[in-house]
Amino acid sequence: MSNDHPLLSIRSITRRFGGLVAVDGVSFDVRPGEIFGLIGPNGAGKTTLFNVITGLIPPSSGELTFADVAITRRAPFRIARRGIGRTFQNIRLFSDLSALENVQIAQHIHERSSTLAQVLGLPSARRDDRRTRARAMELLELVGLAGRASEIAGNFAYGDQRRLEIARALALEPQLLLLDEPAAGMNSSEKHELSAFIRQLRDQFDLTVLLIEHHVPLVMGLCDRIAVLEFGKLIALGDPASVRNDPAVIQAYLGDE
Amino acid sequence: MRGGALVAPPDRQAGVDFSQILQNILNGLSIGSVYAIFALGYTLVFSILGIINFAHGAVFTLGAYFTYALTGQRFGFNGLLSNTALPVALPFIVAMLGGATLAGLVSVLVERVAFRPLRQRNADRLLSVVSSLGVAVILVNLIQYLVGAESYSYPSNPFGLSKPAINFGSVERPIPVRSIQIVIFAVALVILLLLTLAINRTMLGKALQAVAEDLTTARLLGINTKRLIVLTFFVSGFLAGLAGTLVGASQSITGPYFGITFGLKGLGVIVLGGLGNVSGAVLGGFVIGLAEAFVPPQFVQYKEAVAFAILFLILLIRPQGLLGRTQVQKV
Repeated sequence: MSNDHPLLSIRSITRRFGGLVAVDGVSFDVRPGEIFGLIGPNGAGKTTLFNVITGLIPPSSGELTFADVAITRRAPFRIARRGIGRTFQNIRLFSDLSALENVQIAQHIHERSSTLAQVLGLPSARRDDRRTRARAMELLELVGLAGRASEIAGNFAYGDQRRLEIARALALEPQLLLLDEPAAGMNSSEKHELSAFIRQLRDQFDLTVLLIEHHVPLVMGLCDRIAVLEFGKLIALGDPASVRNDPAVIQAYLGDE
Repeated sequence: MRGGALVAPPDRQAGVDFSQILQNILNGLSIGSVYAIFALGYTLVFSILGIINFAHGAVFTLGAYFTYALTGQRFGFNGLLSNTALPVALPFIVAMLGGATLAGLVSVLVERVAFRPLRQRNADRLLSVVSSLGVAVILVNLIQYLVGAESYSYPSNPFGLSKPAINFGSVERPIPVRSIQIVIFAVALVILLLLTLAINRTMLGKALQAVAEDLTTARLLGINTKRLIVLTFFVSGFLAGLAGTLVGASQSITGPYFGITFGLKGLGVIVLGGLGNVSGAVLGGFVIGLAEAFVPPQFVQYKEAVAFAILFLILLIRPQGLLGRTQVQKV
């Protein structure tokens, strides 16, 4: 983590919705290989920042750089193809499709055979299909859902849906993985497992992880660095120990006495 | 079939009825297959954007006129293009594919003008009903302005068939079916097959399903949704143009309003099959086609009413359509 050349660079990002400033001049860098936590009270602008990074919402002002390329105002699909995958606070699987199909769709961009070859079922297409299917199965295996590959995603239990969503994001083969409240709705032992799992992902896939989380102990134990947002502004940035003792953070979380 | 002939009572009426039934079935399948490809165009757009493209019927009409022009035939005297013809006269099959391609391009233009601006502003979906109806009216009037309101017929025997009808019965009990109906059925089946394979076998098809379920998430998975939407409108318009040409070849192009009733019926077909359901559109097409074919000749002017009455009855029993699924309330 001595490498301080940033993978994602957020520069003075501001996003207004009418009169509301949801994200207000936020700047920070995410370095390659780190697990970076984004915390803050409800409505602090964390998810809005995720939406800006992934291109769903253009920033009102500011610049984003990812792997040395400016991605500000790029189309979401281009940003995804550059290597940013994400999950959602309220899970957004394709609930009518099978688990396998959910993962395979994200591999769409890595297909090599032509559509015509696929219609005709040519050998190149079948090879491609076998390859993406095998890859998708590996990812399902990783999240422990390989045995249920052909089940419809909408029928999965909540926790399984969360894991399937992570497998789908990984199928993009991202460099940076954004996780929006991955531990929401989990009990404490599940939260422990999740922490270990996120570390494993980072190591196995050479990932950089940026995650939003409400559960402060989990963030403190898992993240290398943490940024704290309040009312759209960055109020603290640093390693867990320094953030924990930051007076501004204590005030944001506990309110002024 | 043979058994039927063997036990046929001496009275000749029963034999006639039987061959009549078979003939009705064949005719019903033929027109039903055209309904199916037309309705598929509707349903593809509906499934990915959740909107009804009311200009679909106008694109159907345009496709028929494009094919007419590409065969090198002359337009009448009542429009701006009076008594003009293209310097080329393409063989009918080529003209039909060309006409369908042009119809596809018009459909892409309709998306650009009537749907995309509203979508980008997150406008209410109901507004696109108005904008696409507006485009439909403009297109129909444009046709009238350019080539007049008269009806046009393709060159006789467009597919170069050796016989005008094929006998599916015996010499004593003929069951003649017009050859053109059989060609239409064959063309429609090939298109249906290709489209089904494309949707089920290709990554493009899977991407389309993904966009249909959740456009935003599809974008975040690297799917170029804008291009996919344009492609969908092209395919949709292509199917409409093809259907227009096939119906025109079976009867004639009855004027600029050619596609209006057809458009309404296509809407009925997709509702019947289950909105946004591809197999449902095909099934619905065949059901309506067969139902119409069985309307007795003396009531033929009421066959649309029969078709919609059936639609209405089925929806009373299955409001979600034949293959539609019950809407799950999302929390």
